[in-house]
Amino acid sequence: MTLGDLVAILPQTVLEGLLLGFVYAMVALGYTMVYGVLGLINFAHSEVFMIGAVIGLEVFRFWGNPAAPVIANPFLLLLVALLFAAVGSGFMAVLVERFAYRPLRKRGSKNILVPMITAIGVSFLLQDLTRIYAALRHNEFNMQYRTYEALNQVFELPFQTTIQMKGVLIIAVSVLMLIGLTYLVNRTKLGKAIRAVSQDMQTAALMGINPDVIISRTFLIGGALGGVAGVLFGLLYTNITPYSGVLPGLKAFTSAVLGGIGNIPGAMVGGLILGQLETLSGTYLPFLTNGNFGTEYKDVFAFLTLVLLLLFRPQGIFGQNVSEKV
Amino acid sequence: MSELALDVQGVTKRFGGLVAVSEVSLQVRAKEIFSVIGPNGAGKTTFFNLLTGIYKPDSGRVVFFGQDITGRSPDWVARNGIGRTFQNIRLFKAMTVLENVLVGHHTHTQQSYFDVLLHTPRFHASERKAKARAMELLAYMNLDRRAEELASALSYGEQRRLEIARALALEPRLLFLDEPAAGMNEQETEDLKTRVRRLRDELGLTIVLIEHDMAMVMSISDRIAVLEYGSKIAEGLPHEVRSNPRVIEAYLGKGAAGQAGGTHAPA
Repeated sequence: MTLGDLVAILPQTVLEGLLLGFVYAMVALGYTMVYGVLGLINFAHSEVFMIGAVIGLEVFRFWGNPAAPVIANPFLLLLVALLFAAVGSGFMAVLVERFAYRPLRKRGSKNILVPMITAIGVSFLLQDLTRIYAALRHNEFNMQYRTYEALNQVFELPFQTTIQMKGVLIIAVSVLMLIGLTYLVNRTKLGKAIRAVSQDMQTAALMGINPDVIISRTFLIGGALGGVAGVLFGLLYTNITPYSGVLPGLKAFTSAVLGGIGNIPGAMVGGLILGQLETLSGTYLPFLTNGNFGTEYKDVFAFLTLVLLLLFRPQGIFGQNVSEKV
Repeated sequence: MSELALDVQGVTKRFGGLVAVSEVSLQVRAKEIFSVIGPNGAGKTTFFNLLTGIYKPDSGRVVFFGQDITGRSPDWVARNGIGRTFQNIRLFKAMTVLENVLVGHHTHTQQSYFDVLLHTPRFHASERKAKARAMELLAYMNLDRRAEELASALSYGEQRRLEIARALALEPRLLFLDEPAAGMNEQETEDLKTRVRRLRDELGLTIVLIEHDMAMVMSISDRIAVLEYGSKIAEGLPHEVRSNPRVIEAYLGKGAAGQAGGTHAPA
């Protein structure tokens, strides 16, 4: 490849990174919001995301069978899948909070490691429950998204770039969700309450806000975003397994840390950056190293960049340097 | 005698072996300005925390306008008529002045998901109403011109006033003020005294305050209770408390009671 060729594939690479970045951004919001209100890394969030992908897949399977479709229009089908995944994942997240985290909180344990370990346990539990479900229903744990011509339709863009219909939809849905969340957090009563609980739970309670209700709502919103992201991820990669949440979840968590954990715009920007790092390194690494490092090293490169960035800015891009009160 | 706002009956709180508050009983009448004083570490703030639900008393009862509120959660107590401010200011620093007050108004703002999503007229009406009420309270505390600034940008005295405005947004019947004059200069303290009186006279609030500024306590309070080592050692009108030998001893040490006439402020 010549330099000209490398430059020529840049716009396409950036565009693909953008799609991936939006998915990471939406998942990252779930991590960052829960961290905001509880100071907890909710490791089970990656499974809430994966379950959203499975719910979406089942909606396509149930109602989108090309032979006898209940809903023939693939766009309407996608909308229904997104709604079901949002509701399903949202409630899954609420249940996890209600039965795994809240009892620990009520016992007043100050050790943050305890809920963290619980979160890892819940994460494994949800993976295995999904594995059992997949085995019973599909006889194997690889689950394939149905594909539809209307969603795979290709559009030509300038600079020799192409985008599929589903790519357009991923961007549209993500942007809508991100704008909606920003509006909710900054403009509504619930958003103010979430920010109040994030800043000082006890004072928020003394202002008449029930922290348990707000924490539950936070899980609901974060879970719903994760579920929607799961369906979009499924559309993009088509193959879903019970372990599909693990790596995207880790990357989304990384995005949240990159943006400054607890910071909402930070999670969005962090996700977009990580998406770019991953696709850029995936595309260019083989060329830059004469094929010694293949595309499979993209994650290594992405995380290496992250390690370097955090060395210089440990609080993340938007994070505040919080000094401990003496 | 007027209605009882607060009837505290033998409230005790232990932390491990330490008895932070021991068998404290007191009664605050409606529309009274009542002060709780005592040396550092006497258990005053713990006592407030017991009354606002942050701690649950180990024994005793708290009755608020005839309703038993013992052991209720902080948010329940806040929703049911008790507002408070904090010794070490606890504003939401990353929010604007107006938003801080709107958070206080939380329970009085009616919004369903449906309203928010569809921007129903009810949503706009509730937003407008909440904002108008918040601005009113800010004006009352002379902070309306700084509504859009971050709470952290306010001066110390302004932050204390904002805490009061935020507590007022709860539409409480009783207000706990934890050291409202701490760190204020004389001018600011004078101004605060006027405002606290207005809260009682104009809004009909009952006010209970913890304060170290004795000049302020003596001039503003209808009655005063004194805590030492978690126990109530005196209660009465300002001049009674001031000349009480046990109180002087608590502040100045044994033997001081004879010398100090009690006219000067123990600090």
